[in-house]
Amino acid sequence: MGLGDKLPGGGSSKTTGGIFGPGSPTFLTSKIDAIVNWGRLNSLWPMPFGTACCAIEMMASAASNYDLARFGMERMSFSPRQADVLICAGRVPYKLAPVLRRIWDQMPQPKWAISMGACASSGGVFDVYSMVQGIDTIIPVDVYIPGCPPRPEGLIYGLMMIQEKIRQESLTRHFEHRAEDPATVARPRANEEEVVGLTGPFGNSTQQDALSTGASPRTDEEAPTDPLLG
Amino acid sequence: MSDSKSPLDAVEEGPASSDGGDSGAQASTGSPDDHPTVAALLEAFPDEVQRYRLNAGDQYVVWIRPDRSHEILAWLKNDPEHLYDMMSDVTGVDYGGGRPVEVVYQMYSTTHGLALRIRCPLPLDALEIDSVCDLWNSANWLEREVFDLFGVTFRDHPDLRRILMPDDYAEGYPLRKDFPLRGRFSRAEQTRRALNQDVERFYLAEDLGHGVPQEVESAPSPAALESGAPGAEREGEQG
Amino acid sequence: MATKTVEFGVGPGREMGPGGVGTPSPLAPFDIPEPDIGTERMLINIGPQHPATHGVLRLVCELDGETVTEVTPHIGYLHSSFEKLGEYRTWNQIVPLTDRMDYLAPLIYNCAYVMSVEKLMGIEVTERCKVVRVILMELDRIFGHLLWLGTTAIDVGAFTPFLYSFQQREKIYGLHEALTGARITTSATRVGGMMADLPDGWLDQLLDFLDNFPKTLAEVHRLLTGNQIHIGRTQGVGAISADDAINYGFTGPNLRAAGVPYDVRKDRPYYDYETYDFEVPVGEHGDCYDRYLCRMEEMRQSVRILHQAMARLPGGPINVEDPNISLPSKTDAMSDMESMIHHFKLITEGIPAPEGDCYMAIEASKGELGMYVVAEEGGTKPVRWRVRPPSFVNLSVIPKLAEGHLVSDLIMINASLDIVLGEIDR
Repeated sequence: MGLGDKLPGGGSSKTTGGIFGPGSPTFLTSKIDAIVNWGRLNSLWPMPFGTACCAIEMMASAASNYDLARFGMERMSFSPRQADVLICAGRVPYKLAPVLRRIWDQMPQPKWAISMGACASSGGVFDVYSMVQGIDTIIPVDVYIPGCPPRPEGLIYGLMMIQEKIRQESLTRHFEHRAEDPATVARPRANEEEVVGLTGPFGNSTQQDALSTGASPRTDEEAPTDPLLG
Repeated sequence: MSDSKSPLDAVEEGPASSDGGDSGAQASTGSPDDHPTVAALLEAFPDEVQRYRLNAGDQYVVWIRPDRSHEILAWLKNDPEHLYDMMSDVTGVDYGGGRPVEVVYQMYSTTHGLALRIRCPLPLDALEIDSVCDLWNSANWLEREVFDLFGVTFRDHPDLRRILMPDDYAEGYPLRKDFPLRGRFSRAEQTRRALNQDVERFYLAEDLGHGVPQEVESAPSPAALESGAPGAEREGEQG
Repeated sequence: MATKTVEFGVGPGREMGPGGVGTPSPLAPFDIPEPDIGTERMLINIGPQHPATHGVLRLVCELDGETVTEVTPHIGYLHSSFEKLGEYRTWNQIVPLTDRMDYLAPLIYNCAYVMSVEKLMGIEVTERCKVVRVILMELDRIFGHLLWLGTTAIDVGAFTPFLYSFQQREKIYGLHEALTGARITTSATRVGGMMADLPDGWLDQLLDFLDNFPKTLAEVHRLLTGNQIHIGRTQGVGAISADDAINYGFTGPNLRAAGVPYDVRKDRPYYDYETYDFEVPVGEHGDCYDRYLCRMEEMRQSVRILHQAMARLPGGPINVEDPNISLPSKTDAMSDMESMIHHFKLITEGIPAPEGDCYMAIEASKGELGMYVVAEEGGTKPVRWRVRPPSFVNLSVIPKLAEGHLVSDLIMINASLDIVLGEIDR
C-alpha cells in the first residue's frame, strides 16, 4: 500500500530494488521524491497557533520587513484542515492544551510542528501550576526555536530547518516518517514515574522555596485539605 | 515629597509597624481630614470602620468589617459628596499563616477626583462577602477572579464560577499562600486532566443559563441612546 | 427529553462554593438535559484559536440567524500566573514579567510597575529618568495603537494598513532594540531608574521616526476614515452610553469615545504630565467609529508629547544615586569594597520595602492600568502583586455591546475594544 509500493523499485515486497536492497530508493523514486518535496517545502501553509508575544514576532515575520511570502508561506491557514505546519508561538496553559491537541489532530498528513519560543519548547519562564512545560508533552514537535521571543530571523531559520527536513523525506518511507504511535498520542511523553519524580512541588529548582516574603511562615505542610479535593 | 529628603528617608522612618490582623489601631500618619471620604466614613459608620491609614504618600486605605460592606459601598457610590462611580479594581490579598484574606476595593470618583481603597478582612473559615455587582457592573468579572484565585464566595453574584482556571480545576485556589507554585498535582496528572477536558463545554443552551427563545431586539442606535436614555441626563450633568 | 452524562463541567444545581457538606465533587458525573433543537437559535463557538479574536479568546455566541442574541466570552486560555510568580521574585526580578503581559506595549508596563514600587518605597527618581520614562511610555502608546490599527483594519477586511502599521512598528522595534537589546521583551526599567541610559544617536533615531510616522498615519487616515465601507462597518456598532461606560468599568479610549473625558494623565497626573501641552480626544457616540477616531488622534497627540519631552530632556544621572537602591557602576563595584558590598546585597537580597500597599494608576494604551503592590516590613518580595488589566474589564462589556448585532459586527466590536489576552489572563 502507499505510493512507494506502486513505483518500480519501491516497497519491501518487491524483489528488485535500488542499490541498497529492497525498499530503498531508486533513481525514479528519488526524482519523484525530489519533485514532491520541492513542491511541499516551497508552499508550506503555516497554521499559526499564536498565543502570546511570540505570535507578535510571527506576525512581524509575515509583514513586509521579514516577509514570509518569499518562502511561499504568506497564506497563513487558520483552518487546520488546510495547513501543513503548525507554528505554536507562545505559551500554552493546561486549559489550552486540549485545543492544541485537537487542532493538531485535525491537520491532515503530511504535517509538521514548530515549537516557537522558550515557553512552547519547555515552559519558558513559567514553571507554574497552569503552564504546559513544553508542547512536546502534547504533540510531536519537529523543530524547536529558542528565544523569548525569537527574532523573526529565528523563526525563518526554524522554517528553513523544516524545509530541510522535508527535503530529506522519501515517499518510500512515508509511513515510517509519519507514524504516530497511538499509545503515546495524547499522553505525556516521559515515563510517569520520571515525570512525577522531577516535578513534585518545589522539586529540583534552586530558586523556589515555600515562603514568598519570609515574613509569613507556612502552617500547612502536609497534604492539602482543600474541600474540593474531597 | 520634599526635595531635601533623600529617596530612602521615607523608607527608613516609615510608618509604625503593624501586622495584617491588627484591628482598632489608629493610623500613625495622615489625618482623616485630608481626605473628605475618610472623615465622612468614620462619622457615618463608626462601628464598621476598623482603621484607616495613609500609604505610599497620598493613598488612603480604610479597613471595614465585611458584614455591612454592601451598605457602606452603596453609600460611597450614591452619596452626592462622594459619588464613587468607578470601581477600578476588586482583588484579594492572602498574607498566609492563617491570617484573614482581605478583599480590596479600589474606587475612584470621576466627579470629585477622589480615589479610595477599602479593605475587608475575611477570616479563613468564613470567606464570604456580599457582591457589589448590582452597584458596579465592572465588579462582575473582578469578583469572579477573586473567587477563582482565592476561594472567596460573593453572595448574590449573578454568575459566580471560575474564570481563569478551567471550571473543573480541582487543585484548589491558586493565589492562596498555601498553594504551591507548581500546583498540587504532578505534571503528568495535570497533563492528563488537561487533555481529558471537554473543549466543547459551555456549548449547550442550558449551560448558558437559558433555553427559552426570547424576543430579539436590535442594538440601540446612538441616536436612541442620546435621546431618552439615562445616559442623556449624565451628559447634562457632566457639562 | 434525552439526557447525557457529563463527566466534567457545570450544570444546574451545582454549587461552586468553597465547599462543605453536600457540595458534589466536580469529578462526579451528573446528568444535564439535552437542549431541544427545535428552536430558532444556533450556538456557534468562536475561538480560542481564531484569527479575529486577537488572542486566545473564546466567544460562545447564540445566534438567531445572523443576529447575536447572547455572547459569552471565556478567558483563561493564556493564564500564566504572573501574580503568583511575582510573589517569588524580588522587586527588580519582576520587571521581565511585566513585558510579557502586554506584549504590545511592554515599556508602559515596565514603567507602571516600577512607578508603583517606587511610590510604595517613597523613592523619587531623577528628572532625567522621569522624562525618559514619559518618552518611552508615549512611544509605546503609539506602538500599541499601531498594532490595534493594523489588526482592526484586517478584521474589517483592509489588509494594507496592517502592512503599513507593521512597517512603522519595525522602526519602533529598532528603537527598543537600540535601547535594551530586545525588540519586544524590553525590561527597560529598574526600581530607582532604568537599566541603561539612552544610547548615543537614540534621540536622532526617534526624531527620524517621528518625522516619518505622521505621513504614514495620514495615509492610513485617508484609507480608512472617510471610507464608506469602514464607516458602514463601524458607525453605530457597539455603542454604549457614558453612564454605562463608567459603570461597566471602561477606561481608556473606549471610555473617552463614549463621551467621558477621563484620562489618568490629565485627572491623576504623574511625571509632570500636567505640564505637557496635549489634548485628549473625547468622542460622542461610544461606537466603534468613535473609538477608532480617538485612537488615531491619540497617536497624533503622543507625537506632540514626544517632541515636547525630547525638547525638555535634562542631563544628569538616570538612576537614583543611592547605593541601597541602584546598582553601582561596574568600575566602582570592581574597585571599591563598599560598592561591591552594596552590589552583593542588592543582587542577593534585593531592596527592602516598608509595610503598606500602593495602587498606581497610569494611562496605558489600552486604558487605566493599575499596578497594586502589597509589601510587608522589610520585604524584598511582594506579598501580593496585582495588575489591574484594562482589557479584562473592557472585555467583560462585550455581552452588552454585541447583543442585537450581527456576527461580523461582533468581530468588529471585539477588535475595537483593543484587548490583549496576555494582560487579561495574566
